[in-house]
Amino acid sequence: MNSNETTGNHHHFLKRNLSVLLLFSLFILVFSSWIPEEDIESGEYILKYPVYFGNRINTPADQPLTKQGVYLGRRLFYETRLSANNKISCGSCHMQEKAFTDGQKFSKGVDGFLSDRNAMSLANLLWVRKFFWDGRSASLEEQASVPMINPHEMGQSLPVSARKLQKTALYPRLFKIVYGDEQVTGDRIVKALAQFERTLISADSRYDQYLGQRSVQFSEEEMKGMVLFNTFPDPEKGIRGANCARCHGGPKNYLDLYHNNGLDSVSADRGIGMLTGQKTDRGRFKVPTLRNIALTAPYMHDGRFETLEEVIDHYSEHIRQSEALSAFLQHESNEKNGTSLKLKADEKKALIAFLHTLTDSVFISNPKFATPFLTVQKHNSK
Amino acid sequence: MKKYLLISICALFIVALKPVTLKAQQATEAGVKISGEVTAPFTVKASDMQQLNRVSVSRKDRDNKDHQYTGVSLLTLLQKAGATTGKELRGENLTKYALVEASDGYQVIFTLAELDKEFTDREIILADQMDGKPLPLADGPFRIVIQDEKKPARCMKQVTSIRIAFAK
Repeated sequence: MNSNETTGNHHHFLKRNLSVLLLFSLFILVFSSWIPEEDIESGEYILKYPVYFGNRINTPADQPLTKQGVYLGRRLFYETRLSANNKISCGSCHMQEKAFTDGQKFSKGVDGFLSDRNAMSLANLLWVRKFFWDGRSASLEEQASVPMINPHEMGQSLPVSARKLQKTALYPRLFKIVYGDEQVTGDRIVKALAQFERTLISADSRYDQYLGQRSVQFSEEEMKGMVLFNTFPDPEKGIRGANCARCHGGPKNYLDLYHNNGLDSVSADRGIGMLTGQKTDRGRFKVPTLRNIALTAPYMHDGRFETLEEVIDHYSEHIRQSEALSAFLQHESNEKNGTSLKLKADEKKALIAFLHTLTDSVFISNPKFATPFLTVQKHNSK
Repeated sequence: MKKYLLISICALFIVALKPVTLKAQQATEAGVKISGEVTAPFTVKASDMQQLNRVSVSRKDRDNKDHQYTGVSLLTLLQKAGATTGKELRGENLTKYALVEASDGYQVIFTLAELDKEFTDREIILADQMDGKPLPLADGPFRIVIQDEKKPARCMKQVTSIRIAFAK
């Protein structure tokens, strides 16, 4: 009897377990495309960055950063449904492992056409006041819609994007958590994207460790490179320098400046000149951040240089004189009456060694910036 | 028939090109936009500069030689724009500044008191001429020149805008 009872109990136990398992599987199945609300953190998002970066940040007063807003922005950043063919997301041309660039000269859009200019790195945008190579947008909110609606990039209007997301099971819930109701709008999409992009802070390079607490020792070559980087050349006084810091200086290696850096005597791409009509603005482009520069090849607005060596060679030997060439580049040289830097081979190597100290491996592997889609493939195949 | 076709093609061409050329003409006259906490924001163009009270400042440039810069005092421009100057420059108005920007995005500020004759005799001008000639292309058409300032960092070139604001 005892044994019968045991067997009966055993069966009962198995049966019960099986139904629990079934129920559990069903639960998993139903909720696999859902994120439990309690898993989405909410509240104020506190940005962390070194004191030496300063607080001249560009955040609209009506857009306080929230954890839930940043989370939504991150999902949207990697959301391919924001493109006309459901294959391209912001993350397609701004890949984390390449400091949010794509390694291409120009990027292919939904219509198979190439973009006009090289995809820019997205790092420390919190301090940027003008966006794009020609600085035409004054905020990340304004910037975000441009590649989304450009027919040669993501090629989809904001109302269409909003309608597509509205029909999903996930997004109306997420929008409710962030904005208080389930309505998906273009304005809310760009605002969330901007929130996520403001969190992309790169401040963990070896250079940061040097700036912060001098906790790393630079090699002799890196130190030499840093000195050249920061020094204005003065052949009269025998002072050698590369003066990179004039435009790429400060702890963020970014100063929100726009110059014609002598790539061509007549720039095929008019740059800011297209917006202002000024001949002195022809071929004038944003001076990009040098943060993670070793990861963001190819270089320049048209991706014409594949290596840092080519970039340094340009400033050293190939500055093209023109009426649009920025004034400071017209006579900047280590040789008397020179018109380009004229660096020595070991100086070029030292500069490149220093540029490598700006690589932030924490930034490019931070899981908070990576795609949140475990289901990303599923979304893609829909 | 051929003739008509040619005429209509030409006409189309003219119609199509006209707005473009117009736009280019409008866009090529450089100016300095004065805006912000002012009652009459305006853009001062090269031709307007000749109509205003002209002043000259001498200072050493990077070539270590003295040059004579001529233009219009920033104070004159601010008065024209209706900024708080002179007797009005007191109380909270003393927390106002002028943010000057150049075409390369470079920005510097001056406090309004720094620009006001009731506070200082030092001239700070928007120059359009150096030694009697228009400024070099890469420096102009407008440049800030500050009398007796030791560092040249605020004597910025290719000025495009001046915005008056309260310090917050």
